[in-house]
Amino acid sequence: MRGHSMTGWHSAAMALGLLAALLAPEVALGQDGPPGITAPRVFAPFDPAAPACSVPKGLTRVLGHVQENDREFLEGVNHGLAMAAADRGLEYRRALADSDAARADAQIRTFIDANVGALVATSSDPAVVRHSLLEAIRAGRFVGTIVPPPATLLLNAPQYATGKALTDVAVDYINSKLGGKASVVLLTQDSMQYLSPRFVAMRDGLTALPGVSIVADIAPSPVTEEGGFATMTTILQANPDIDVVLGADAVVLGALKALRSAGKARPDQFIGGIDGEPEAIAEIKQGNSPYKASIALSSPVFGYAMGEYAADWLDGKSVPQAMDILPIALTHDNIASYEADLADPASVFRDPVRRAAYLRMYGNICYDTREQFVDFPWSSETVF
Amino acid sequence: MPTSIRAVIGSTLVFLVVGFLALLAIVGMTFWLGERAQRYFDSAVEARDTSGAAVALRSAVQTAESSQRGFMVGGNEIYLAPYGTSKTRAQRQLDVLKVLLASHPETQIPLDHLQSLVSAKFEEMDQTITLKRARHDDEAMALFQTNKGKALMDEANVFITGIVRQADERLTAGVEEQRVNALWLRVVSAIGALVIVGVVGATAIVLLRYTRELSGARDEVRGLNSVLEQRVVERTAELTGARDRAEVLLSEVNHRVANSLAMVSSLVILQSKAIADPAAKSALAETQDRIFAISLVHRRLYGSSDVRAVMLDEYLTGLLDHLKTSMRGDRQSTTLSYDLAPVQLGTDASINLGVVVTEWVTNAFKYAYPLGSAGEIRVRLRPLPEGRAELVVEDDGVGRTEGAPAKGTGLGSRIVTAMAQGLGGTIEYEERAPGLLARISFATGAPAEKPAQ
Repeated sequence: MRGHSMTGWHSAAMALGLLAALLAPEVALGQDGPPGITAPRVFAPFDPAAPACSVPKGLTRVLGHVQENDREFLEGVNHGLAMAAADRGLEYRRALADSDAARADAQIRTFIDANVGALVATSSDPAVVRHSLLEAIRAGRFVGTIVPPPATLLLNAPQYATGKALTDVAVDYINSKLGGKASVVLLTQDSMQYLSPRFVAMRDGLTALPGVSIVADIAPSPVTEEGGFATMTTILQANPDIDVVLGADAVVLGALKALRSAGKARPDQFIGGIDGEPEAIAEIKQGNSPYKASIALSSPVFGYAMGEYAADWLDGKSVPQAMDILPIALTHDNIASYEADLADPASVFRDPVRRAAYLRMYGNICYDTREQFVDFPWSSETVF
Repeated sequence: MPTSIRAVIGSTLVFLVVGFLALLAIVGMTFWLGERAQRYFDSAVEARDTSGAAVALRSAVQTAESSQRGFMVGGNEIYLAPYGTSKTRAQRQLDVLKVLLASHPETQIPLDHLQSLVSAKFEEMDQTITLKRARHDDEAMALFQTNKGKALMDEANVFITGIVRQADERLTAGVEEQRVNALWLRVVSAIGALVIVGVVGATAIVLLRYTRELSGARDEVRGLNSVLEQRVVERTAELTGARDRAEVLLSEVNHRVANSLAMVSSLVILQSKAIADPAAKSALAETQDRIFAISLVHRRLYGSSDVRAVMLDEYLTGLLDHLKTSMRGDRQSTTLSYDLAPVQLGTDASINLGVVVTEWVTNAFKYAYPLGSAGEIRVRLRPLPEGRAELVVEDDGVGRTEGAPAKGTGLGSRIVTAMAQGLGGTIEYEERAPGLLARISFATGAPAEKPAQ
């Protein structure tokens, strides 16, 4: 499985992105050029037929990718970008930052110095790379980032939708296989506030079922497999019979180990996680594992989309300002087709129906309107 | 197949046993379920108290937490008013839980864990409150922002929820058990009632069948009796007819015999008239009397309903009247009297006795009072004890001289002796001086009284 885990990377990036957004006005004031859109707003749906712009001048048709590390999720992004660059006649260059923000910043600057036309960056510390990214944008480059601003195309995962996707599968299972009754454990993440909509969605969905009892709503600490194991072990002392466990894949995998260790794991249980971790996918593929679903974000597909829009930018076309990475609930039934889509993201992108299942685009921006870049922690679920 | 009384009793006993067992099952089930219901009630009360104590514990901790947070935000001591009370209340509920859950060993570890969590939670709140009171707001906020308090509360909630849930499960299980028990009671009662109804119905059917069969048998016996009675009536009628015909025939025979004897007697008389010899005439006359004596029996039998016996008083009266008439021509001065008790004697014996009486009375007429002397001949018949009777003929005449030759041919004496033998009687002659008494005693074989006519 390639590139669909955002647990560690995504979480850290989002947290740092928020911090960077808080610092953005002061930084912008100290720089030349437009500040971009710093106040949160709702973008209109992307209009593919928007008028064309000028072709960026003095930039090469090179797509540079500063990759935070070589985790599978980011490797998926790399795969998509490389395929799109190849398909659109761009030169593709990748630089691995090895989770070193300063190195990532240096690599971005190297790409700027090389006059690359498009840049996609992920970093463990968005604040560190922020200045370089702003410079790149103001110089007319296409800048795509995953979660933290600034960017001409900002990607984000809708957290409530992510939690709801997992909850919907769980609710269907509870109704169809457990007779509408279940003892549920929610393993939350208190340390990452922006993830709270996931758990709001889970509580909203589960409390609608009169037969469901949430016996534990608790945040493992740390948010790792070990933390999940310890928390679940404690929960089992008080509630030995658990039917459903929901949370991030890492902690849920730990909870599954605790269930097995206590002899309380059953094939008819529903264990579901978020992030599409390879270990979770392996459990799902077994068929008889309590692990029934994992919410994945298809990194090759949105990587391919970013590559396509980078090429469009360099061709003077209008591209989205923001893009939702829609959650896909992986189950034993659909995992094969999902993996096929990962292997061939180009065909997904070209099929509007399939593309709509993975991505949703908002707003329009192009070389001529690049001062409208996004510089706030955008989310399609933000309510004003 | 007809139902025997044994089968009726046997089947009724079986039905009664089955009905009794069904009743026993219902009563036993009721007692058993009642006992279980009592146990469930006790368990339900304990579960309710446990759940209530757990909820009260959570409420106490939450109240304390609200109090702490109010103080943290506003710094106003008034927010801490319920804090101490809640802390005490939380500890009291923990103690209550320990008592209530003492009989559930599996809850001891979670309960200990819960106690340590609650203690840690209050410790964390105490620390923040102390820092806030000491105006170390930054330190207090830093401690608050570690989320330790929330984590402790979340974990405590897990255990409180577990206790409440297990109590609810015990209650739910108990309710389900009561529902099942009630269903069992209904099922057993229904089955028992059906069995009892079945038993009563079966018994009623058996008794009904038996009664019907009894009634049928009685009707059948009554029918058979009716047929039998009809046959008896018919047979009786046939026998009566046969008897009547036999009686008629016998009467006819007696009539004819009597007539024949009368004819013979008449012929003897005619013969006597044709003979000049007085001795011969006398002999024929005696013979004629003897024949009459015999025929008189038949004549009586002809008019009697009983041919097996003859009333001697009636028979001898006729015979003596006849002798008195027939002898009066020769012996005008001799009288004949008789005293006859009503004695019944067999037909053949009566003939023999009649012949004896004829001989004795004729002899008395002929020899007791010679030469026209007057005298009386008396005939007496009386019953004797032990079914015997005695007939006496006596006169006051010349009597019988010892060693003197017989006055007649001696035929009469031989006849008397023969008749007496045939009668089984005993003859005695007694010289009365004057006169002679001839006595014969015999067995009558019948009661001495005269039967009602």
